[in-house]
Amino acid sequence: MEGLFFNVNNGYLEGIVRGYRNGLLTGANYTNMTQCETIDDLKLQLGPAYGDYLASLPPNPSTSSLAAKTTDKLVSEFRYVRANAVGSLAKFMDYLTYGYMIDNVALLITGTLHERDTRELLDRCHPLGWFETMPVLCVATNIEELYNSVLIETPLAAYFKGSLSHQDLDELNIEIVRNTLYKNYLEDFYQFVNTHPEMSGTPTAEVMSEILEFEADRRAINITLNSFGTELSKADRKKLYPAFGQLYPEGTLMLSRADDFEGVRLAVEGVGDYKAFFEAAGLGGGAGAPGNMAGGAGSESKSLEDMFYQKEMEISKSAFTRQFTFAIVYAWVKLREQEIRNITWIAECIAQNQKERINNYISVF
Amino acid sequence: MSSAADREAVFPTRQSLGLMKAKLKGAETGHSLLKRKSEALTKRFREITRRIDEAKRKMGRVMQIASLSLAEVTYAVGGNIGYQIQESAKSARFRIRAKQENVSGVLLPAFEAYQTEGNNDFAMTGLGKGGQQVQRCRETYARAVEALVELASLQTAFVILDEVIKVVNRRVNAIEHVIIPRTENTIKYINSELDELDREEFYRLKKVANKKQRDTAASDAEMKQKREDKAALALLDQENQAPEEEDVGGGDILAGEDDEDVIF
Repeated sequence: MEGLFFNVNNGYLEGIVRGYRNGLLTGANYTNMTQCETIDDLKLQLGPAYGDYLASLPPNPSTSSLAAKTTDKLVSEFRYVRANAVGSLAKFMDYLTYGYMIDNVALLITGTLHERDTRELLDRCHPLGWFETMPVLCVATNIEELYNSVLIETPLAAYFKGSLSHQDLDELNIEIVRNTLYKNYLEDFYQFVNTHPEMSGTPTAEVMSEILEFEADRRAINITLNSFGTELSKADRKKLYPAFGQLYPEGTLMLSRADDFEGVRLAVEGVGDYKAFFEAAGLGGGAGAPGNMAGGAGSESKSLEDMFYQKEMEISKSAFTRQFTFAIVYAWVKLREQEIRNITWIAECIAQNQKERINNYISVF
Repeated sequence: MSSAADREAVFPTRQSLGLMKAKLKGAETGHSLLKRKSEALTKRFREITRRIDEAKRKMGRVMQIASLSLAEVTYAVGGNIGYQIQESAKSARFRIRAKQENVSGVLLPAFEAYQTEGNNDFAMTGLGKGGQQVQRCRETYARAVEALVELASLQTAFVILDEVIKVVNRRVNAIEHVIIPRTENTIKYINSELDELDREEFYRLKKVANKKQRDTAASDAEMKQKREDKAALALLDQENQAPEEEDVGGGDILAGEDDEDVIF
């Protein structure tokens, strides 16, 4: 039923996004890219996919400018889709940008806290997280002003309300602020896709729930792992866990009590996927160091983070198997982001002549 | 030796000879000391050169790993976290301490790196994702900076030692090729001058002695003559007084005396 009128408003955009998805680099492309000897070769390989955007780069560009240009393409495509979106898809896409907005706002708050000229920070903000009132954030010179008159006007106001006061902005670590916002954002997004009349009960709600639940779990696990050895208390940590997801509530409760890698492993035991990840990471990097970056060694074992990315990409890929859903927009953005990261990684490996790790990219097509 | 240019301008006296001899001895002792110093420094210098070579190779490796770990952070965090890191860093975690090391009287600065414990300003960066990569990257870079500090202290020592070795070698050469030959020349010159003076003195003394001898001989001869004359006169008087006492003898004596007066 839900597909009956979907194409009236959103058929064109679904087609466009599916077209974009077909433009993503495939495994064969990546194989070719890893064979490149110089960044120029890589640029040539990227020609079909990114031609126009890379044309203005000087010979042998830096990896960061390469990443910036590839991001430009994503941004302009996203803006095109957003400009053509109507109704609930437009709202959905706005939700998609809130995640980036949180990063931008956190950046500007950092600048304000340290009394820097925030205007120059605007260039560093992620373009997807740009909102109209963002430059206004630069007017505020102190936190109270920022909180009372500026943040209230941003789309993120709802995420500040109730969980953060202006004193919190001053006192708490900016990372905690950011993660609190992100938690509120994820919960709100989850709420939105499951309760909005046009989306609840549709494939959109189904797929997005899966994606967001995974995202929530991933954040909970990462926050736990990364908070070991920091001054973040267990009670504070618990507040940062999103209140949904496959781990919620038992898993998150156990996570909040975990003291080490082993504790996290026990907490996620109930979910098959994560259990497998932890077993692989535990074997590869050893307990306490679930990473692939142990001084450049251990290139074979994948880090937990890599496996999460891999999983995210697989979920995103399978989103395209459904029709009449907004989730493909989200999935496409995520896939493109991963592609940009892959390109940056490969370019970095080529630039630094570290070919043995070049295959650490994640390709799902 | 060649000429007056190659010796010091001193008066060739015994005192300055003594001075010069002391100076030569001093120069020789100094030369051997400096030579030994230069050898010690050169040995140290070689060691430092070798260690610089090692440190540079190590730095290359470490920096490579470090920049790759930065790439990993970019990959994992998916953005630029440079600004947050810069803003959240409040106090230096990695510090160095300078101390001095004495090598044959040369003070070489040495830098020692240490990390302040419990100073973890951006422990929470990347809390949501990539935090472990950030921490690992920080550790890798701490190792890289450590290698850099080591290299810096070696390089400083290298430059200073190089300078000092040059100075010492210049001194050694100056003593060996200028001061010692010159002092030796001076000594030789003074010796030859003194010998010359000795010979002159000896000759003069000989002359004086000769003259004295001649003088004494002459006066001896005169005395003898006088004595002989006197004796002859007395004899003559006795002979004259026997026949006629006053007239003839007186007149003859006067004449004779006159004659003798004219002669002498």
